[in-house]
Formats: sequence, C-alpha cells, structure tokens
Amino acid sequence: MSKMRGAAAIVGIGQTPYYKRGTSPEPELKLAIRAITQAADDAGIDVRDIDGFVSYASERSDPAKLMPALGTRECSFASLVWFHGGGLPATLNIASQAIMTGQADIVAVYRSMAEGSNQRLRVIVAQDDTSSQYLVNGLDSPAQILALRAQRLMEYHGVPQSALYATVRASYYHASNNPNAYGRTVTMNDEVYEHARMISEPYRLFDCSRENDAAACILVVSAERAKDLKQKPAYILSAPMGTMEGGGALEENWRPYYATAGQTELAERLWRESGYGPKDVDVAQIYMNMNSMGIGAMVDHGFFAMEEAGAFCTFENLTAPSGKLPINTSGGDLGEGFIHGMGLIPEAVRQIRGASTNQVPGAKLSLVTGGPGDLMSSTALLGAAETL
Amino acid sequence: MAYSFEQHKISGAIGADDQFWRALEDGTFQLSRCSSCRNWTWPAHFRCGKCGSWEFEWVTLEPKGNVFTYTRSRYAFDRVLERKDDVPYVTIVAEIPEAGNVRVMGVMKGDEAGLKIGARVKGSIEPPSPKTKNYPSIRWELDL
Repeated sequence: MSKMRGAAAIVGIGQTPYYKRGTSPEPELKLAIRAITQAADDAGIDVRDIDGFVSYASERSDPAKLMPALGTRECSFASLVWFHGGGLPATLNIASQAIMTGQADIVAVYRSMAEGSNQRLRVIVAQDDTSSQYLVNGLDSPAQILALRAQRLMEYHGVPQSALYATVRASYYHASNNPNAYGRTVTMNDEVYEHARMISEPYRLFDCSRENDAAACILVVSAERAKDLKQKPAYILSAPMGTMEGGGALEENWRPYYATAGQTELAERLWRESGYGPKDVDVAQIYMNMNSMGIGAMVDHGFFAMEEAGAFCTFENLTAPSGKLPINTSGGDLGEGFIHGMGLIPEAVRQIRGASTNQVPGAKLSLVTGGPGDLMSSTALLGAAETL
Repeated sequence: MAYSFEQHKISGAIGADDQFWRALEDGTFQLSRCSSCRNWTWPAHFRCGKCGSWEFEWVTLEPKGNVFTYTRSRYAFDRVLERKDDVPYVTIVAEIPEAGNVRVMGVMKGDEAGLKIGARVKGSIEPPSPKTKNYPSIRWELDL
C-alpha cells in the first residue's frame, strides 16, 4: 500500500463532442476551455478556483493560455508527463502528489486536440522523436511500429486474430449504446472487419484507433474535499508510471517484453500499491492505440496468459454488463474516439458513479491503462469509497 | 567529401549512431560495442549502461541475421511518402547473432515467399537515395 492510495479523487468530468479529424469547428484551445469548464460545472466547483493543471505528451493548450479565459485566480502547479499516450494514467499520479504535498487544491487533468491544416495528429504525436533508423526504412506511424509488435504477438506467441476481432466488436457494440461515441453508427461484423483495408500488416483498419478532434478533462481534489462535492468520488488507489530495464528508447530492441505492452512491472506495482489484483477488477478501460497492444496490456496486468488470449478475448467476456472483463465501455479508443486516450479516464469514472451507457452493475474497481508499448507508460486503478 | 546523410540529418532521437550511417555510406555494416565490457550497444549510445565506459568500438560485421519481426506497409504514411509508389513494402527487424542478437531494421528486398519469423536473412547496402531520405540503407533479403 502506498501513501497515495485514496489520498485524492476524481470529482468532475468534461468532454466535448468528438469531431472527425481536422473538422472541429473550434480550435484546440477553445475545446480545452470547454472541457475544463464542463468538468468544473459537473463537480460544482467554480472554474476560477482550479489552481493546478496537468497534461501529457504533446499537449499545446498550456495553462498560461488557458488562465485568462478561465479567470484563474492563482495557478500554483503545472506539469506535463513525458512521452506519448503512456503518460495518460500517470497524470493522476502527478495530480495526487500535487494535492498531497499542498501544491494545489483542485487539479485539472486534460488533453485537447484539433488538427490544423498542416499539423496532423500523427505527426505532432510523434514529437519529432522518430529516429532515422525508422524513417530511413519506411516506418513513420505508430500503426506501423506497433504492427511489428503485433506480428510477433500473433505469429510467434500465437495470439489469434479472433482475439483482436473480439476487442473491435466489443468496442463498437459499446459505442453503439453511447450517444457521444463518434463510431456509434458503424456496423461491425465479421464481414466488415475482414474486408476492411489493411493498414500495416497484421493491422486492418478497425484494429486501429480513430483519430479525432476533441477535448476531455477530469478534476482531482483531496479525498477530504471530495466528500462534500456534488458527484460520487472516484478515488485514485494507485497510478504508477515508468518502465523497466530493457525498455525505454531502444528502437525495437526491447527485452524481454517485446510483443506486449511493457506494463508488467507497472501492473505489479499497481496491485501492490492498491492491495487488489486482476481478479478484483470490475471494468477496464484499456488504451488501444492498436488493439493487439491492448491485448498485451491485459496480459501484462495478469488478466490472462499469452496462450489464454484466444479463449479469454471473446465478445461475451469483454462486454458489459456481465462479461468476465468488460473493456472500453464507452467504445474506447477504437469506437468512441481517440484523443490520445483521454476519453478513457472519464469513462472509468462514470463506471464508479454508475453513469455509463454500458454500466457494469455495482462497479467499484475501475482500471485505466496507458499507451501500451510507449517508451514509458503508466496505469491506474480507481475505486469507489467502499474500496478504500 | 561530406557524407550525404550528414547533409540531410534527421534529428530527434538519441543521435549516437552517426558512425553506423557513415560506415554504411562507405559500404560496410558496423555496429557498436563497448570497448571496456564488450557489451553490444544498440541503438548506439553515449555511455555504456553496463560498465560506465564512454568508449565504443565500431565493429565491421557481415550483415547476416534472422527475422525477429516484420510488417508489410499497405498505406503511404505522411513522413515516408517517398515510398508511396513502393506500397506495399515490407520492413524487417533482423536479429544479428554475431552482435549479441541486437536488432537492426531494413526494408526487404527480393522474393517474399518464405518470409516468417526466424527466417535467415542477408543484408546488402544501398547508397543514399530520396527514398531513404538521402541516408544509406541496409536491405534484408531471405537467405533460404
């Protein structure tokens, strides 16, 4: 157990609509302001009282630009988690620490994205850190680089295509019940999946997340303050970040966890710090930049072994309300929309509140995993008051 | 004479592999090994994380390896549009047994029949071209 366990809670969520990439009627900064003000309204907090700002990766809507529009009385803490989508749950770690150490009282964790005409998401997301070893050899996109991992996961470790398809079907099924999901009207069946164009083998179109324009925000306060606010708090039980020896910037030289998500040690810390294990989790939002990487994340978290992936990853097991491990219940990165994973935390919170459109009845422990296969990653477990 | 890759430098990564590209442009395949503990260091770096040495030797090797993994790109991605007419093309990550099984990427050349994880490959060196962003490159071919 760690000191961080239950010290802070998520009390507000805000999300703009998801727009097709490059078509947002509003610029990125304005989307960020909308998501933050919504989160404050949801929590019953005066937006001017937000004094901490945390984001991750290549976020451009920095607090200095937000403050004048939010009417911020005082910004006392601002921080960005390094790397890409791997930083998503680590934002909760940073926010908890800021609150525990008295550096901030109300922390907004947010991510906003709207592609300009010349700054496409997949270029900005890469942050100019794709090495010559990739680019010289025709590799640019995370889709291609993660396809290398997927090929290994499937061909060498024997994870079947059916496991990938099950995550797609579950995601789009959940999206179809979520009026805010960008992919809610997509028909998904065997034929649609199999006939979709190949992107980078073994990934077909629907194995990849859909990039959108949107913003999302959650508000973090101390456990004490959370008790008096409008919403049922989602307590942050653990949110470890990092990577192991043999990980980091190694250009496909990762050892020994090449084909999964690189989250084995993170998950071990998560269970140790929270006092729970994979069998206790009610619902999981699994980051799926690409779905095989999400399967790797579930392996790393101990939900099943590599050789059990085919038997575990079925539509029935992965869907709410009664699957063994309902995942991505808003539709997730594949079906709801993708703004660098930031849609996952609000949905994990809705599950604790009992307010998801694909609710798992009585959900008390809600997992959010970070960008799998990122140079560094993170994971987080949220819990209802009973889990403290 | 200045090297082509130096005039078209791609920035943003660790950036300790200049000698790899220089050697390729000179027609040899070299990888880096710590001069002190002889640990193969790949990707190349500035200090040996195993023993703390700052000295590396660049060892000329025969480019031979085994397929560790691969992908066939079926879409022309933004930053590698130079290859749009080559789509689909295969990029191989090859393990180099002679260098502690470090993994080196290269675009596949020749017949794809028999491509699978574990297959033996041999490398050939190509001079800088627009397709390779004016860097030299190593290409992997099945060695069945």
